[in-house]
Amino acid sequence: MSSGPEHLLDVAGLEVRYGAIEAIRGAGLEVCKGEIVTLLGANGAGKSSFLNAVMGLVPLAAGRVVLDGEDITGEAPETVVRRGMTLCPEGRRVFANLTVRENLAIGGATRRRTGDAATILADMLDRFPVLAERHDQMAGTLSGGEQQMLAIARAMMSAPRIVLLDEPSLGLAPQVVDTIFEMIVALQHHGATILLVEQNVDLALDVADRGYVLASGRVALSGPASELQASGEVERAYMGRD
Amino acid sequence: MFRASTTRIAAVAAGLVAAGGVAQGDSHGITIGYAGGFTGYLAPYDQPSLNGVQLALDQINAAGGIMGMPVEIVVKDTRSDTAQAAVVAQELIDEGVVAMIVSCDVDPAVASGVMAQAAEIPSASSCASTPTLPAAVGPYMFSNYTADNLQGAVLAEYARGQGYENAYILLSRDTPYTEKLPEYFGEAFEAMGGTVVAVGEYTMGQQDFSAEVTNIGGLDPSPDVIQTSAYEPDFPAFIKQLRAAGIDTPVLGSDGIDSPTTFALGDVAEGVVFSNAGFASPGSALEAFEMAYEEKYGMPNDTVFTATGYDLMMVIAAAIEAAGSTDGPAIRDAWDNLENVQVATGSITYKDQNRVPVRVVALNQVSGGERVHVGDFSPDSSMIPAP
Amino acid sequence: MDILIQQFVNALSLGGTYALLALGLAMVFSVLGLINFAHGDLMTLTGYAMFFAIGAGLGLPLAIVLGIACATLAAVAMERVAFRPVRDANTATMLLTSLAVSTILHMLFQNLISARPRAIPVPSWMIGAVDVGGLAIGVIQLMSITATALLLIALSVFLRRSILGIAMRAAALDFPVTRLMGINANAVVATAFGLSGLLAGVAGVLWLAQRGSVDPLMGFLPVLKAFIAVVLGGLGSLAGAVVGGFALAFIEVFLRAFLPDGWLPFRESITLTLVIVLLLVRPEGLIGRRENVR
Repeated sequence: MSSGPEHLLDVAGLEVRYGAIEAIRGAGLEVCKGEIVTLLGANGAGKSSFLNAVMGLVPLAAGRVVLDGEDITGEAPETVVRRGMTLCPEGRRVFANLTVRENLAIGGATRRRTGDAATILADMLDRFPVLAERHDQMAGTLSGGEQQMLAIARAMMSAPRIVLLDEPSLGLAPQVVDTIFEMIVALQHHGATILLVEQNVDLALDVADRGYVLASGRVALSGPASELQASGEVERAYMGRD
Repeated sequence: MFRASTTRIAAVAAGLVAAGGVAQGDSHGITIGYAGGFTGYLAPYDQPSLNGVQLALDQINAAGGIMGMPVEIVVKDTRSDTAQAAVVAQELIDEGVVAMIVSCDVDPAVASGVMAQAAEIPSASSCASTPTLPAAVGPYMFSNYTADNLQGAVLAEYARGQGYENAYILLSRDTPYTEKLPEYFGEAFEAMGGTVVAVGEYTMGQQDFSAEVTNIGGLDPSPDVIQTSAYEPDFPAFIKQLRAAGIDTPVLGSDGIDSPTTFALGDVAEGVVFSNAGFASPGSALEAFEMAYEEKYGMPNDTVFTATGYDLMMVIAAAIEAAGSTDGPAIRDAWDNLENVQVATGSITYKDQNRVPVRVVALNQVSGGERVHVGDFSPDSSMIPAP
Repeated sequence: MDILIQQFVNALSLGGTYALLALGLAMVFSVLGLINFAHGDLMTLTGYAMFFAIGAGLGLPLAIVLGIACATLAAVAMERVAFRPVRDANTATMLLTSLAVSTILHMLFQNLISARPRAIPVPSWMIGAVDVGGLAIGVIQLMSITATALLLIALSVFLRRSILGIAMRAAALDFPVTRLMGINANAVVATAFGLSGLLAGVAGVLWLAQRGSVDPLMGFLPVLKAFIAVVLGGLGSLAGAVVGGFALAFIEVFLRAFLPDGWLPFRESITLTLVIVLLLVRPEGLIGRRENVR
């Protein structure tokens, strides 16, 4: 647990229900500026529900979401994005019938007013050269790894203060996963703050500063990534220890 | 959310129907029922009919009612639904109506009519013009409107009188009116020595007549006259596209086009001749009706269905008066023997006509956006095609 | 040959009107998954706005502008009042809501204006024909083809070049993720309705120019045709709606023109049978995408 005024994102007592099913039962976490924090957990532990609830995509039953000192609990996703937090969703979900150019353009929709969309775009194309090559191609024709890069670049186009990455390694070949994670680390070096949801525990703890383990909708374990990696308790938490 | 919104919608709907002028009768005096389509696709016909009926009722009551008794009308909306037409008719019978006016279209008219027939209460459709309607229901069902075969015969007689040899007819099998009237015309036209060179078909509301017009342009021999019972929106679309294609063959229509739209069409409708139930020449009963109508409703009458609704109410009053009783069978017998009842559009005779009345057919011509009276016709019965 | 080209032009003109209507229907469907059965009533509103504008002596050009504006605003208002409260409800609820909106409008028109048709006079120059290489092309047909082409080009530029346009295409593919781009969901939905109203307004003017009058129920048949066109082209696909509109018009016009006389009574059934056969061969529609069929 970290503390102090540095919290960029502060989530407390989050509860999400789907009808009678309680997906999240009072989970919370903090992310400090410049950190990579990873949220781990078995399938169905509620990781995606957690991110979706934080973003305002699914309604909260209880809890509080504070972004950089501002309470954004219950705000619509588009408002959350405008306030500086964005989500790169699970399964990439690029707009298959839009070109790479259009995917990036719509990612930068919130930056039109500030006038820095072009600068950010140049930066992204620089960082993901393959996207520059495929600029006028339909996003649906890209490979899985390229789509993941596009999804991350699209999320970064809004110049977020914090980006939530949901399962960026899902369904990708190991060497492609390595490339993606190198890029995630590079993003951090350029000042990005990242909340990373991953199933690949080892990889996630390798790049993260701190980690949380979600089990049955609650935080079962948390701590610095290196400690979690060494303790082996993550495995037990995965087994559903409450 | 959903339940709340449907409740709201139902409330709005109920309010609108009430606002649509539904009167309630009570138990004393003579009660007439009207099972009409005041909402839905029949509203353009049954709403004006009702206006005419109510005007007649005002005049009848002002003159002391029927047999000295006040007359009331109970109006129920069928929502232009055939099943509902039967339900509503039964409700009216239960409320003790002595005669019933039913919808303008044949199907709901039959649905209501068979209920009245079973209860031995005479009924008549406001403006259905299919001549076989009374026979289809039974001895308690009457027609009111100018029958299709009568109009067809008058138009054919006029066409032959103009020396037209070859005719093209355009019909739609979507309604008996748009199908049968042109067929009656064709039958009478050929019986009088003319030839129908081709028959075109359209779907009501199809908007685009370019294919039919292109075909007419290619006919050999080209027709001397075109007859159709299409009405709006089909008639305006047809004649615009016909004239746009440079075809200036004369066009004969029927009463369906007796509407302000036809007179607003401008050059394309110039010279079109159509039949209807009467022409409001100066000093005529129809002119008096039109003035009384404007006085009651604050706007000029724009359709003949108001006048025929008025006529029907007058016929019912005459039948009850002649029967001297509110007993169903007595009214029926009196109705069946009515002769020369003076109404807004002229006079109506039921005696010896199998409950399909003889009434005047007027021919009108569109000229400079105005209507010009061509004449009133009552063709020899041998010239009228059998229904 | 001449008659073939003539019928081709006829089909092109009719197809334009169908395409505009179908595109409006598809635009709302692609964003909300709603088939808006009140879409045709927007044409009726255009008609009444024109009727009253002409009655007030405003002249035809202004009446046309007002008619189209009225349909556009009414579509936006319809979304705000009727569809936004049920946006998250299931498809059946939204469908019933649209039928309710349509029924209420019919009753308002019938009881507050008139159940009888109201004439909309069109100047005589619009009714003539022009000679193009030996073909007689009606002025209204020419206007219809031109208006359709211009509107489709403008719309295509909007959908490809503007952020809101791209957002609308994105929303058709994945609405939640579109919101994650910081795009205001209400803005996208309102724009979709506004455009659908604009398209219905233009189609309404073309339709009214042919029929010469407006009546309370006139919107029903066009919305049915547009619905067939949308399904034929591929539900959820905007290009599909346009292609479906033209395809339906070509089938209709060519059947009416070239069916032997004895077959004419069956032309509607043949049209629908052809549509069904096409859908059996390509269930996703002419240019729809399989994964997009909801």
